[in-house]
Amino acid sequence: MQMLYISLALFLLANLAVGMWRVLRGPGVADRMLAAQLFGTTAVAILLLLAEAAKSNALRDVALVFALLAAVTAVAFVKRAWSMPEARDID
Amino acid sequence: MEALDFALGLFDILLVFLVLSLAWLVMSSEDLFRAIVLFVAFGLLMALVWVRLEAPDIALAEAAIGAGLTGALMMAALDRLSSVKPIQKVAASAQRKQLSLSSKVLPLIALVLIVLGLGYALLSLPEIADGLTPNVKENMAQSGVKNPVTAVLLNFRGYDTLLEMVVLLLALLSVWSLGGERKLSPRSTNPILGSLCRVLVPVLILVSCYLLWVGADAPGGAFQAGSVLGAAGVLLLLSGWHVEQKYLLWPLRFILILGSGVFIIMAAVLLLIQGGLLTYPVAQAGWMILLLESAATLSIGATLAALFLGGVPKSRVDQ
Repeated sequence: MQMLYISLALFLLANLAVGMWRVLRGPGVADRMLAAQLFGTTAVAILLLLAEAAKSNALRDVALVFALLAAVTAVAFVKRAWSMPEARDID
Repeated sequence: MEALDFALGLFDILLVFLVLSLAWLVMSSEDLFRAIVLFVAFGLLMALVWVRLEAPDIALAEAAIGAGLTGALMMAALDRLSSVKPIQKVAASAQRKQLSLSSKVLPLIALVLIVLGLGYALLSLPEIADGLTPNVKENMAQSGVKNPVTAVLLNFRGYDTLLEMVVLLLALLSVWSLGGERKLSPRSTNPILGSLCRVLVPVLILVSCYLLWVGADAPGGAFQAGSVLGAAGVLLLLSGWHVEQKYLLWPLRFILILGSGVFIIMAAVLLLIQGGLLTYPVAQAGWMILLLESAATLSIGATLAALFLGGVPKSRVDQ
């Protein structure tokens, strides 16, 4: 079972590496931000898998904090991008 | 078992590769917004690195501060930078033209020397070193808590945390002395943001209390709890939370200095009674640490939210 968790975590990390392409290429700011949000979600999944593999409750807390704070970053971004006309033009 | 080690090894190699390339991209990115997004991603992966190094306490702090709040703080800073952007662009292009050979070679030599020095220091370390772990283990019974990290931060080296609290306060004071007055943003009419706030803010406060409480015997503590509380504050500020002017003056300042204040009073009282700085009596150590941490959590949360605002807060309604 542990092997399955670790392989899945590895697969998700590889996904994250592919997602970096979108952050680098953009083209719009929203594309970059959404890619970063995808990173956050993937990291939560990786942490939960590692927590299950290592039987560690502390890692679930880390995942919880990640999930909560990703939403705050997203709101900060949306408030910024949608109040600035130039950001809207790029999208 | 061998296959498991192999998979974990692959995971670590990929993680190290990603972290290093992200670090490079953050530093070399000319587009500041891209740099912020990359930095948030870097924070996420750093938390994973700490998890793999079996340091869940630091992973939690990195998740709360590095990947969470820093992104929002930097975004606010970028917002205010937009008025000075043209100057910065001119300066950058002027700099690029002037880069001569010696200004490229000298940093390279300095970097090589630093790498050599660090490499030497790393290789000359003893292979197996216990450090202070045995000392901490011996004295755990007297610390009043069960989590060794909390014991070190709040008991054995409590003055470190005391000074950190003062540093946070100083950071806010310098921002306030530079930033002028900032009006709270108008109430958002966006129904999505409103309902998100109603759901998320109570959960953030609950998780903050949980992290504070769990810090006594598992990873958690004042800094993590404080930054989650700060995130709740940031969310409320973004949604145009209305605070009356009278609460922004003394009540806010009281909460901001509460952490450092309680710490200093506690240190002074213990210095008089026990004869040592922050040497708690064994029987009372547990609740004393909890009191210090609760005060620190409130102050850290308020300080971070105030830092996000970037100036002395002022109510929208002039009085």
